[in-house]
Amino acid sequence: MATESREREGFGHVSRTVGVVFRYLLLAATLFGIVALTVLLIYVANDAIQPLTADPGWHLTFFVTLVVPTVAVGGYLLRTDPASFKFGGGVVGALAVSTMFAGGAAMIFVDIVQPVTWFGYVLALAVALAGVVAMERFDRQLPFLVRSVVAGAVAVLSLWLVPGLVRSLPVYPTDGLLLTASLGTPVALLVGRYAAAAAGKRGTALAVLGGVALVGVGSYAGPLIGVDPVPATVLLSVAVLPTGGYAVGTVRRHTERRPGLAFAGVILGGAVVGAVAVDALGFTGPQSWVDWGFLTSAHSGTAADAGLYPAIGGSILLMVTVAALSFPLGVGAAVYLEEYAPDNRFTRFIGINISNLAGVPSVVYGLLGLGVFVTYLGQPTGTVLIGGATLALLILPIVIISAREALRSVPDEMRQASYGIGATRWQTIKNVVLPRAFPGILTGTILALGRAIGETAPLIMIGAPNVLFSLPTEFSSKVSAMPLQVYAWASLFASDPFYRAAVPAGVVVLLVVLLSMNSIAIVLRNKYQNDQ
Amino acid sequence: MTDNTNPEFAVDESTDDPTTDDMVTGTDVSESVTSSGATMQRDTVVSAENVSVWYNDDRALRDITLDIPEKQVTAMIGPSGCGKSTFLRCINRMNDMIDAARVEGDLYLRTKNVYDDDVDPVALRRRVGMVFQTPNPFPKSIYDNVAYGLKIQNKNGDYDRIVEESLKRAALWDEVSDQLDQSGLELSGGQQQRLCIARAIAPDPEVILMDEPASALDPVATSQIEDLITELAEEYTVVIVTHNMQQAARISNKTAVFLTGGELVEFDDTEKIFENPESQRVEDYITGKFG
Repeated sequence: MATESREREGFGHVSRTVGVVFRYLLLAATLFGIVALTVLLIYVANDAIQPLTADPGWHLTFFVTLVVPTVAVGGYLLRTDPASFKFGGGVVGALAVSTMFAGGAAMIFVDIVQPVTWFGYVLALAVALAGVVAMERFDRQLPFLVRSVVAGAVAVLSLWLVPGLVRSLPVYPTDGLLLTASLGTPVALLVGRYAAAAAGKRGTALAVLGGVALVGVGSYAGPLIGVDPVPATVLLSVAVLPTGGYAVGTVRRHTERRPGLAFAGVILGGAVVGAVAVDALGFTGPQSWVDWGFLTSAHSGTAADAGLYPAIGGSILLMVTVAALSFPLGVGAAVYLEEYAPDNRFTRFIGINISNLAGVPSVVYGLLGLGVFVTYLGQPTGTVLIGGATLALLILPIVIISAREALRSVPDEMRQASYGIGATRWQTIKNVVLPRAFPGILTGTILALGRAIGETAPLIMIGAPNVLFSLPTEFSSKVSAMPLQVYAWASLFASDPFYRAAVPAGVVVLLVVLLSMNSIAIVLRNKYQNDQ
Repeated sequence: MTDNTNPEFAVDESTDDPTTDDMVTGTDVSESVTSSGATMQRDTVVSAENVSVWYNDDRALRDITLDIPEKQVTAMIGPSGCGKSTFLRCINRMNDMIDAARVEGDLYLRTKNVYDDDVDPVALRRRVGMVFQTPNPFPKSIYDNVAYGLKIQNKNGDYDRIVEESLKRAALWDEVSDQLDQSGLELSGGQQQRLCIARAIAPDPEVILMDEPASALDPVATSQIEDLITELAEEYTVVIVTHNMQQAARISNKTAVFLTGGELVEFDDTEKIFENPESQRVEDYITGKFG
């Protein structure tokens, strides 16, 4: 009887109304954030680049030469061959990001570090490295202590003597050749191995030589098309060589991804053809505020002439200082806390304190920097060193926390395996834990640097100047930074053109630099996850 | 047992120092003592006397006394939580890693009490290899995995040859000989475990401890590992923990049965344990009435 009545009724329904409402509420919350951010970015980018001031023909030309082919080829590839699509996009992305880094590096070699000085230090490092390698090769039996003392002595001596010797030479080669030797060669050595892809020692050597030759020829060919030898060499070494090596190496490993190269060619070719066509047809582009002049000139009282050059260079120098200070300190503290420190009340107290410090407002760190470095240690205000040290303190807790997270994600079985075979703690950390955690540590550090590059308040507190007309040349010279310059334009020079154009342009440059830094972190993280 | 100044385990923290040749001297000393007919049995490698282990206040092992013979497979069986793995980890002092663990009693490797104050656990572990429950190769190449022990112990010799021989002994060489520079993580589970065995035997230890080495593997891989263990016993003393009784019956020469509470209930030749155990509790456990 009972089964009969149940069958007649069917299974009935379970209400999902609340669940559906909840789901769409979550969707709305997600969309709200994304939409708000997109609107803001479009608004700022529109003010900075002003795309609507261009001729309609300009838009039409680029639409025909760049957008249509990209969408057509890309859409086709995405459906038929996603791996090639990703590879092609990756090549273009790598070229764009590395070109930006090349710009930063060129700035350093043009205005801050003379190529001769750089060459001297690279040569010194190479000499020290050769000494250590030779020692390893001839006698593996030397005790660790002797080896490290000798290696340290060789490195210090070489760094102390070689740069001076190089500078005292009566004649140098040209700057382009010096940079080819000291920047192009190391990059070619790194890239050539990947590009040659198991082609044997001969193939690798050929690839490296080819890379060096490309950079060397570029240092002479650059002036012919109006680029100075130094920027041309830097651009080839930092942008063209790595991207080309990546493309060649990947195609050699996965021949089936060759269509991706065509995709990259369509995008780059479309851009070049579009530019030539626009020029030939006489269409004018947008009256963008983010242009060559903006990137290469200093502040000016009139908004139209104002530029960001010293601020960009200052931000680069600050980031170098911050990374050099916070990376070893932060990773060192993280390794100690994760691998050595016993789990007791004191270490837990330290851990909680570090978490709290990560949330302390940046203006407080600025006050700390002012108090410790300027008032107590008597350093001059607003220098690269003080600014970098203050920002390094600011991100130190974040670096420690993310490095601890990376170390904790190393499976305990790895440590057990290493201890089980008779490794000491130091050997385990050096050979097993750190190599495995390194990509995670690097990702966390880059994201933390991304926070530091956008900080204004600490720099104001330590007395960094609002306006600077040249790049800092030493650690003890005054420094400005991109967010600080933008703040100065928005507060001290608050006139309509500054508000409407210079500030958005500065923000766009800052965001682009930030995103390209983060893109490296994302690429690293993806690679790390794939490797597991 | 008498020679407490024996430097065989003494290694300082800076073990990148290749001048310490303790492996060679260590083996020499202990062999001479054994052959001169000390108090111990000629063929006993590991000997436990009243070993007890506490985790905080919980007693995990109660007065374990047993002698593990040389170049044979000794199996430890028993239900979960009976302390068999804990005993295994006493032999190479891996329990030192756990802050809460406390070991009492004497445990001799050859003639030396490994819990003496002058024993360096790191040096001890260089003479006692270990294979774990889940295959745990390093995220390095196959070659570097096998050579890891040689490198950290600063062993001299032809690494290429030792790596090849270890992989051959672990019955893995034929499958990986042309891909030694590939990552060890790209192998299958059974291959990874054999790689871990190759890694453990490369530095030529005296004893190999195996903590349920086949429990995470499929039946085919398990039988490969079992064949391998039988072969390894020709040259090494193997101590294996397993909760698979058939496995213990198949591969071991001697079997120790641990039961709940950390007691060693019976220790004898494997055939005797499985055919005619003395203790009723062991018989119940083996016939499946309990545990």
